Amino acid sequence: MNSGPATPPGTFAWPRAFFARYGAGLGASVLVLVGFWILALVLVPQLAMADFSFRPNLPPTEQGGPRDVYTLEHYEYLVRGGAGGEGEYNTVDLAVLGRTLLAALFVAAVDLAICYPIAFLLAQSAHGGFARLMMVLLVVPFWLNEILRAFAFRILFGTSGLVNDVLLGVGAVEEPMDFFRDNVALYSGLTYAFVLLMVFPLYNALEHLDKSQIEAARDMGASWLRVHWRVVIPFAKPGISSGCAMVFMLSAGALATPQILGGPSSLWFTQIIYQWFNTGNNWPRGSAYAIALLISALVLVLVAMRVFKVRLRDLGK
Amino acid sequence: MTSTRFAGIFLTAFVVLFFCYLLGPLVVMAVTAFNSSAFPRVAPFECFSVEWFGVLANDVRLVDGLANSVYIGIGVVLLSVPIGMAGALFLTRIPDRAKPWYYTVAVSPILIPGVVLGISTLVFWDRLGRMFGAGDESVFYDGMFLTIVGQTTFVAAYCLLVFMARLQRFDATQEEAALDLGATPGQSFRKVLLPFLKPAIASSGVLAFLASFENYNTTVFTSLTQETLVTVVASKVRHGINPSISALAVAIVALTLAGAVVYEILRRREAGTGAKAAAGRNVVSSKLGNPALALFLLVCVAGIGTVYFAGTVGVEECKATVQAEKRRRAQERIDALEKTLQDGAASAAPEAPANPGETIFAPRNLQPATRRPTDEAAPTQGEGRQTNNPFSPDDLAPNGDSPGGQTSGQTGD
Amino acid sequence: MAAVDLDGVSVRFGPIHAVRDVSVHVADGAFFTFLGPSGCGKTTLLRAVSGFVEPSAGAIRIGGQDMTGIGPHKRPTALVFQNLALFPLMPVWQNIAFALEVRGVGRAARRKRADELLELIAMPGHGDRMCHELSGGQRQRVAVARALAAKPAVLLLDEPLSALDRNLREHMRGELRAIQRRVGVTFIYITHDQGEALAMSDQVAVMRQGAVLQVADARTLYDRPHSAFVASFVGENNVFPGTVTALDSNYATVATKAGLLRAKPDEKLRVGDAALVFVRPEAIRFAPSEDVENRMAATVAASAFEGNLWRVFLELAGDLRVTATRVHAEAGSDGEDAGRVVIGFSARRAVALPEGPLAAE
Ligand SMILES: Nc1ncnc2c1ncn2[C@@H]1O[C@H](COP(=O)(O)OP(=O)(O)OP(=O)(O)O)[C@@H](O)[C@H]1O
Ligand SMILES: [Mg+2]
Repeated sequence: MNSGPATPPGTFAWPRAFFARYGAGLGASVLVLVGFWILALVLVPQLAMADFSFRPNLPPTEQGGPRDVYTLEHYEYLVRGGAGGEGEYNTVDLAVLGRTLLAALFVAAVDLAICYPIAFLLAQSAHGGFARLMMVLLVVPFWLNEILRAFAFRILFGTSGLVNDVLLGVGAVEEPMDFFRDNVALYSGLTYAFVLLMVFPLYNALEHLDKSQIEAARDMGASWLRVHWRVVIPFAKPGISSGCAMVFMLSAGALATPQILGGPSSLWFTQIIYQWFNTGNNWPRGSAYAIALLISALVLVLVAMRVFKVRLRDLGK
Repeated sequence: MTSTRFAGIFLTAFVVLFFCYLLGPLVVMAVTAFNSSAFPRVAPFECFSVEWFGVLANDVRLVDGLANSVYIGIGVVLLSVPIGMAGALFLTRIPDRAKPWYYTVAVSPILIPGVVLGISTLVFWDRLGRMFGAGDESVFYDGMFLTIVGQTTFVAAYCLLVFMARLQRFDATQEEAALDLGATPGQSFRKVLLPFLKPAIASSGVLAFLASFENYNTTVFTSLTQETLVTVVASKVRHGINPSISALAVAIVALTLAGAVVYEILRRREAGTGAKAAAGRNVVSSKLGNPALALFLLVCVAGIGTVYFAGTVGVEECKATVQAEKRRRAQERIDALEKTLQDGAASAAPEAPANPGETIFAPRNLQPATRRPTDEAAPTQGEGRQTNNPFSPDDLAPNGDSPGGQTSGQTGD
Repeated sequence: MAAVDLDGVSVRFGPIHAVRDVSVHVADGAFFTFLGPSGCGKTTLLRAVSGFVEPSAGAIRIGGQDMTGIGPHKRPTALVFQNLALFPLMPVWQNIAFALEVRGVGRAARRKRADELLELIAMPGHGDRMCHELSGGQRQRVAVARALAAKPAVLLLDEPLSALDRNLREHMRGELRAIQRRVGVTFIYITHDQGEALAMSDQVAVMRQGAVLQVADARTLYDRPHSAFVASFVGENNVFPGTVTALDSNYATVATKAGLLRAKPDEKLRVGDAALVFVRPEAIRFAPSEDVENRMAATVAASAFEGNLWRVFLELAGDLRVTATRVHAEAGSDGEDAGRVVIGFSARRAVALPEGPLAAE
């Protein structure tokens, strides 16, 4: 696009060009809307939350009072645990955080593994009615929200649910299995929840892959495995990385599915955050935990992007 | 040859398994919606019944939540679609150097966990309210308002992506042509760009509504004392499950299917006035649309009619026999249970024959409180306490869960 | 209707100097063409006139009025875009009447004006079609009609025929010229096709690398180019590099590998300068009569039949190559010349210009 009044040299060149294109009224509306969104909805609330996480938990009357000073106590609590835990670590919460991140990585990896063949099939070999049918079947489950999907898994994995009925029926097990305690239900539910988020970026990337590239590689005698490894996967890298980043972030930040499908002895980190807000009534600590989750998850994503040499602008496509 | 055939078989099997995984749970859930059993299950299939749909319609909390969800959804659409559009227009008109930065910030809410967005919204508006000395009744503490702005944070980013995709196909010289012909910037926007963006406005509106409607993670923080359909369902599911939730899922899929059919028809109409399709074909496809819709509605009505008929005729005797059978089984179980209790193992609760996974969350939810070193602020387990009786298995009596219990009395008349 | 004056106009995009110090007077009601190779700054200059680009130096006056700071929608110009930029969601008549719509003209009056313009472009009854239902040439004419609807003083056309196939392009040349005569609006036309420029224009400005090299009517440009670039860019030309050995009142003598050649000199030439002698293929005679000043022996390397004429490729001493054309009817019995021939051209038909870059480079 080389349109628009070309940027004239000198100061205020950009705002002038902007208003020349949109006019005063429309230009101002665009700026106000974007400004409201970026500042009042995205940036400042995050900063407010960050600021809040450095404050002690005070009743409303004392906020802004003399005791309202900056403190690291909530972060300390996350790392060191409560009072008296000198020199030790808050193994409980840290373990939950670690397990949440690892499990989210696991979910992303499983989703990638099961969605890649489907997306490839959909983009490269499915045609006409079959492709459309596949699309519809893919999308239908996601008309239901996360909670109802998790609910379906509860029915399925219950002690008297279909899976146990079948297992007992064929004699694979003696006793009904407890899928919740072993987190089988949770991981299946989370994997299920984000299938579509993985398929679509992959599909978008693979759709643009020219079939003749694959054929050329095949023609030169490359095996199917090699074709995928050397041609298809490098081509789909932006799609793979945005799919993985999204699935990872969303499963690390999932709340409903762990609440419904989580085992009795394993919490998801978001559930701890939720508890600090709801029943624990300690908002600053909840904020601190939320920031810890956000930052550790983002750091993981950024490190992964470094390792796999993915650029930021490839994400979110 | 054999290796490719083997690969083909393998791939087919994989696709079949994949779709079983995708659709199986939904089919199971749909079946449970029509099973009169008070615990959602496929087998044993007791009686074919639509009573759970009645339970659904009579649940005041759900209906109120639905209304709230709709209000919030409308608010989010009204806010995020203009913001998404403005954001996309802004992106096309800023210096190239600034684009990656702006894009990163604008799209970040999609990647930020919803929980974090909810909390930050809550904290920010709370602080703002305090700054202005606003009371609890003010907008700063209004669950509906907070939910709308909280959801808009990320929904607007979805809309932005939709508009960006559409704008990429816009020939910007059209806008210049309009300006050159004497249109003011406003006129050129209204008469040239806006009509072009119309499909994107429609689809981002639908997307925004759906995203808002099904959001839980942000809403659960920002809604404060208000409840939306999703938070109601979530708390129901967490406190014990019954087939009216399955019925809800079936209703949602049916409604969405209807919506999708309508949307598809509208889209074809839209394409009819669009530039690409040839004139002759459009007439045909738009004519086809109406019978398709009529047919679909006919099928729906017929289906519901049959289901209702079958439900009213056979269900009563069937239920009576099942009830008698149940009572007998319940008695046996209660005897067994009492025996276990007398054996004196209170800690045996999870092992009680009461289907631990399905019952209640108490054991799991109590866990962190017991693990946590005594700290004055340690979260106490509200959920755990609300669950009155972890020993009563859901399938013993339909009255185990209060909302289901009340209404099942009505349908039993 | 108005004259357009460009007064030292320059446009820079950062380090790129897209237009350099262009000063041109376009007469009221003229068909004026900017001709130049791709990327020489033609579009940029046109966008400066229509107000989409602000010149970094110089002034643009339309009808004597300075346009500095006046936006595109307030200028009395209308632009026909390189890609036409018709509005795909509106029917033809609404496209044409768009300029009236934004000025608040009522629907009936708009429709009437649109029908008039459809008449003008010889497309009556096409008002209710959609643009994608038109042929390329029809779309082209709709774009012109749309631009004319606002009754602009100046119509700017940016390579409007480049998307059409050859036959249609040649047909549309005549159409455009006819429309221009009918409405009498000043046309500023842009093209990189010299045939188009010569066929349609009252005046042609030849551009190279952002600068205007020569402004003249088509014949002057063809017969009396002022620079080697113009001579080689406008029409086909044969080149003989050499050195000026003598100058008299009418002719220069240039020593080349083909011998001493006499040609009409450019006024800048001095004795001893490096010079290029240009001769058009159609000026070259076979077996010339004695009064033809420049004569030389040549070998026919190949010849190609192009219907109305033959194109003969000749090799001269000193590795010089020359192309000559002969009208079919005047060529030999079998139409082909072969072997060694003597060719020549009159000094009146040759020009000697100072050495400079050629278009092919
Ligand atoms: N918006 C811009 N920013 C930077 N450089 C530009 C811009 N527009 C044009 N240029 C540069 O200015 C020069 C002239 O471009 P212009 O489009 O005027 O050429 P043109 O003569 O119209 O070519 P063509 O015949 O191919 O259309 C080119 O080098 C081009 O790359
Ligand atoms: Mg151009």
